Amino acid sequence: MNILWRAIARNRWRLLAGCLLIALHQACETFVPIVIGETVDLAVATGSVSRLVTWVGLLCLLFLLLTTAYRNGARQLMRALADESHALRLEVAAKVLDPRAEVRTGDVLTISTTDADHASYLLDYVPRIVGALVATAVSAVGLCLISVPLGLVVLLGTPLVLIALQRAAPRITRRIATRQEVAGRASSVATDLVTGLRPLRGIGAQEAADTRYREVSGESLRATLLAARTQGLFQAASNSISALLAGGIAILAGWFALTGRISAGELVTVIGLAAFLGEPFGTLSAAPGWIATARASADRIADLVGSSPAPAPAGSPPILPATGECLGVVAEADAAELVGRYDDGSPDVLVAPHHPELFSGTIRENIVLSADRELDAVLRASSADDVVDAHPDGLDHPIAERGSALSGGQRQRLALARALLAHPRLLVLHDPTTAVDAVTEHSIARGIRDLRHRPGSQLGTLIVTTSPALLAVTDRVVMLRDGEIVATGTHASLAALDPAYRAAVLR
Amino acid sequence: MTAMTALPVATPAQTGGWLLAQLRTRRLELAVTTAAGLVAATASVVPVTALGLLVDLVRDGESPSALLPIAAVVVAAAIIGGIATGATSTLVSRLGERILAALREQTVATALRLPATVLDRAGRGDLLSRVGADVAAIGTAAAEVLPTVISAVLLAALSVTAMFGLDWRLGLAGVATLPLYLVALRWYLPRSAPIYARERTAIADRSQLLMESLQGVRTVHAYRLEQRHLTGIEHASGRARDLSIGVFTLFTRFVGRINRAELVGLATILVAGFWFVRSGWVTVGETAATAVLFHRLFNPIGMILFTFDEIQEAGAGLARLVGVGTLPVAPAGTVRLDKADLTLSNVCFAYDERVPVLQDINLRVAPGERVALVGSTGAGKTTVASIAAGILRPLCGTASAGGIPVDELAPGTVAVVSQETHVFAGPLIEDVRLARPHAPAELVRDALDTVGALDWALALPDGLETVLGEGGHPLTAAQGQQLALARLVLLDPAVAILDEATAEAGSAGARALEESALAATRGRTTLLVAHRLTQAASADRIVVLEHGAVLEEGTHDELVAAHGRYAELWEAWQSRT
Repeated sequence: MNILWRAIARNRWRLLAGCLLIALHQACETFVPIVIGETVDLAVATGSVSRLVTWVGLLCLLFLLLTTAYRNGARQLMRALADESHALRLEVAAKVLDPRAEVRTGDVLTISTTDADHASYLLDYVPRIVGALVATAVSAVGLCLISVPLGLVVLLGTPLVLIALQRAAPRITRRIATRQEVAGRASSVATDLVTGLRPLRGIGAQEAADTRYREVSGESLRATLLAARTQGLFQAASNSISALLAGGIAILAGWFALTGRISAGELVTVIGLAAFLGEPFGTLSAAPGWIATARASADRIADLVGSSPAPAPAGSPPILPATGECLGVVAEADAAELVGRYDDGSPDVLVAPHHPELFSGTIRENIVLSADRELDAVLRASSADDVVDAHPDGLDHPIAERGSALSGGQRQRLALARALLAHPRLLVLHDPTTAVDAVTEHSIARGIRDLRHRPGSQLGTLIVTTSPALLAVTDRVVMLRDGEIVATGTHASLAALDPAYRAAVLR
Repeated sequence: MTAMTALPVATPAQTGGWLLAQLRTRRLELAVTTAAGLVAATASVVPVTALGLLVDLVRDGESPSALLPIAAVVVAAAIIGGIATGATSTLVSRLGERILAALREQTVATALRLPATVLDRAGRGDLLSRVGADVAAIGTAAAEVLPTVISAVLLAALSVTAMFGLDWRLGLAGVATLPLYLVALRWYLPRSAPIYARERTAIADRSQLLMESLQGVRTVHAYRLEQRHLTGIEHASGRARDLSIGVFTLFTRFVGRINRAELVGLATILVAGFWFVRSGWVTVGETAATAVLFHRLFNPIGMILFTFDEIQEAGAGLARLVGVGTLPVAPAGTVRLDKADLTLSNVCFAYDERVPVLQDINLRVAPGERVALVGSTGAGKTTVASIAAGILRPLCGTASAGGIPVDELAPGTVAVVSQETHVFAGPLIEDVRLARPHAPAELVRDALDTVGALDWALALPDGLETVLGEGGHPLTAAQGQQLALARLVLLDPAVAILDEATAEAGSAGARALEESALAATRGRTTLLVAHRLTQAASADRIVVLEHGAVLEEGTHDELVAAHGRYAELWEAWQSRT
């Protein structure tokens, strides 16, 4: 279902209330020039104090009504708008976190922030358009009451002017879209370069990076200036036309007044109304552009949320450890694809990703995900106790920027602690020690063994690696080539007898 | 851990001074823009006064022909005014955008040249949000808010002038409500500012959580943390929503105060006009024109007041950008070298005075020699590499290449490839070319070939033109690191430093990467920080670092035979059981 229609449907009551109140507000706004005209005509021109009091009193009532209508209407709409963008954001987030969806686009942040906002702004645009139509209609009726031809000019002139202006709208929308796109590109080039600052500095490429940014920044400037020129031209045209329409009405009214068909006070009302008409005109001429923006954002959200789930992982695992077994797997081909096959979604299996990803929060919040049974033993086994002890706050040390203040080896050890602490029945580890030194690797290998494979243990561990230190502590090693088992044995026997294994493992 | 020190934010005086200096260099543009704005505002005010005159003509019973000059003025003003309004908005955004472009380029230029220590202390997040979000926010403000606000200010000024032009007493009545507007603003701003700040923080939290979940999605899935992360995002988003509703409620009360000011203003003009007309000081038409002029100001004044937040926010962003410009930039050295030796003599270092990291390090890498630096985690290997590369300054002693202190060398003379890989967004060939802009494609291919990356690079969907990085074709960690090594080859530096350049590749990839690293550094003066001892074993010489001091030094065979620390590490590494 279309996201914009759904936004209207699921917020219909607030939207309806908001539209009615905003329409009332706009109608009141239209009455302001009418009251000004009447006051000038009936009180200022006649010098009648009682009439002055009456009309100024009416003006006060009018303002009371319009401010109350606005306040309540706008609050209803704001609530609807905020709820809608919140709901859209959660939909995007749920999609991002859906295990079946492979959302890997870099635009997720923009979609969940800007696009969710822009799509829900529709709930602001609809009442504005309704309000502008009501204001135009009330003005036309007011003018008709003074003189039918004047009202007809508004009723016929407004659509003509709006249609004429709309011809320019697609061009503006396009230019603005280009501007936003190029600006977005410039901004992502900047963040990309700053993110890669260390590697850049390593090769002294600051100058080259600077030039690269200047190019895209210049491009962005050109696109912005082009958009500004188009917008300026449009503004020139729309301002001239609506000023001519308003001026035409006023001149026509002036002629009627000079020929005695309407009074001087009515002329003031007409002048005020004609000047006021610029406001709803502005809204109505800008509205298609707004809707186009909202629709573009809604489309981007729909694309993301509606993207089809990735196909289920291919194939079943070629080998599983026996109960209580610590199994080593040496895979020559794609190890990442291999470990993916073990994740069958059951809570008994944990496939710890090779890349150690940490989140905001303390060390404890990162590694203790359920129970903290045997926390100390786990920290020792994964050699993460050093990492914890290196910080004065210990486990309560906050991790910032996804652990970028920690070294690769520290992150890897914390991730391993997290995996061990989860105590899954089957733990699949993929190269868990690539960033630690040889001595630490050795003690981690022993630690995993001691923690998970005490005599009588029911836990299974599968380690995909070519590290001899890890393989040496396994019960059995299986060597895979193209997904087929080509050798089985203990690390020691394979290392002694199988030249292919030696080539793959020993260093 | 040292506390984060935020990057500086410019004071209002600094920001204002910077803005003035910018405007001063663009005097002509500024003058033309202002002139166009004044024409537009005049064209908007003149017809109303002319029509006010018309009201008096009608009351005096003039003939219809009196309409002609007024009609001519109204029509001319409509056309001229329309064109001038369009021109003003174009010119204002042109002026604003040009200044902004200069500012963002300067900010990025400074950011790229910040000393590593400043950046480490501030964290990259702050800098990233400045070159990203702040630039974008000011860009939108300059394109959309600024032209409207400037037109509104000019219109308000001209309308008030016109009221005084009609009659000074009517003018006074017109400006009598000015204090009410100011009171409303002074009521609103201090109340809304903290809520807006909290809202921005909540939005930042929300984005942070979302990005983390996205980047760590494999971990989230592995540990079945979806619900937990979703709840976290929902809470942050809900907080942002509640704050935005709260601040909007405040805003509607502010609008109520503005409506009150409008009512008082309008009533004052009507009552005063009534009195002035009775006293014979002004005409009915003049009163009507003043009332219409004032009524027409509702919208522009609302525009100024309602965008005050956005303007303030853009101002805050501006202060943050100008603030980056106030940072000291490490002056780049200029000396270029061909092949050279690398020497560290008596180097010591500490991040924090109490804990020395390095003590009296002496190390020389002869021209063309490959030296491996080995030691357990925390021995200070990376610190030695950073000092050798000139990223860190030693507390005592010197680091020099070819006899010249490393900080006097031109950037890239001593090149570093670290384990922190980054694949730059854009075509693959441009990624490699960062090392040497406009290098012929042949040289880039040769560099890729040297590190063994040419085959897979050519097999990518668009070959060397394949777009990589954020949103582009994904690469494995090993491939990313090979690109980094290809950059090194293309750069062809006098001295190369490889800091764990093969660590994160996973065991199968590491072997291939080691060969790439070997090829990239063949015949080059190289300091190699190695976890993987296979890599160390292939070096000409090995230096063992322990607790910030050199423990052993020699060839692989010598050290293994010596049965010292290296032999112990080697034994552990091999694990032949």
